[in-house]
Amino acid sequence: MELYKTDDLDLINRFKDGDTSAFEEIVFKYQDRIYNLCRHMLQNAHDAEDAAQDVFVKAYQNLNRFKPEASLLTWLYRIAINTCIDYRRKPFFESLFKTSKEGDVFAVDQLADSPSPERLYESKQISHAIQLALGRLSEKLRTVIVLKEIEGLSYEEIAAILKVSIGTVKSRISRAREELKMLLKEFREQK
Amino acid sequence: MGCSKRKLISSYIDGELNKDKRRLLESHLSGCSECARELEELQKIHMLLAGAEPFKAPRGFSTRVLANIREKETRKFGGFVHILAKSAEGFAVLVLIGAGIILGSFLSKPLVFEKGNVVASLSLDIFEPAPPDSVGGVYLAMTEAENEN
Repeated sequence: MELYKTDDLDLINRFKDGDTSAFEEIVFKYQDRIYNLCRHMLQNAHDAEDAAQDVFVKAYQNLNRFKPEASLLTWLYRIAINTCIDYRRKPFFESLFKTSKEGDVFAVDQLADSPSPERLYESKQISHAIQLALGRLSEKLRTVIVLKEIEGLSYEEIAAILKVSIGTVKSRISRAREELKMLLKEFREQK
Repeated sequence: MGCSKRKLISSYIDGELNKDKRRLLESHLSGCSECARELEELQKIHMLLAGAEPFKAPRGFSTRVLANIREKETRKFGGFVHILAKSAEGFAVLVLIGAGIILGSFLSKPLVFEKGNVVASLSLDIFEPAPPDSVGGVYLAMTEAENEN
């Protein structure tokens, strides 16, 4: 698609010149990657969508201050991770029940008794145990493992996003894998 | 648990080991069952995670993002208008106070004159001359006679 060939810098410059359609192109281009990251970080579809929405709103509000030293995606990932961390720090009560725009109250999908179609689809694609184990990791470890394994970023890219050294990224990924291994073992033993 | 090469396994899976370390680990793996098992287990986790079908943004996501931005911008503009309205109100009050002061100063001028008249009205000139048969009149007649002498 022609849209995806457009250079990010060109999009940013167009936006800075007042062309708001450039921002729409940015959203189209990165919405799936940002949503996927939020979905794995938060593990609940409703929070993930809200967080991903917030990421693009924040990006819109701050794009004029964006410095092209980092890539646009790196910058968006950074906003997404900070947003997801803020979402996870929300009080338990807030994350337990969500109110839809129509005002209906429903429990988040982890608590649903019967698996949703999305959950069924998900379980076909990835082990349910892995998802649970990911959710049990600390913020720091989950962030690096999601960026590495789910987003497929290099150590260098992760270090740039998180503003930490490559050595830190390396050791966190190693620890995350060790913890995932232990958690999966624990789940197996519980069955 | 204690094998020193084990810490290299995670970077090996990610292809982040340099050539020398990679070769070193590969030759080690053939002789160390503990590290070989660790590699196998971590690779399984890696395959499960890396092979996961990515979630796609829900339908209408970008439309909602743009609507959200418009709503926030409108609210921001509304807030600005509100501040402006409040400022206009404040400004109007200040203008009224200023106008009141100026008008008040104009209106108070005759009062100053009146005040001058009051002072003038207290001058001794307004007193009637002392009657000749009063104590004051006798005193004045005596002083005038002395002055004439």
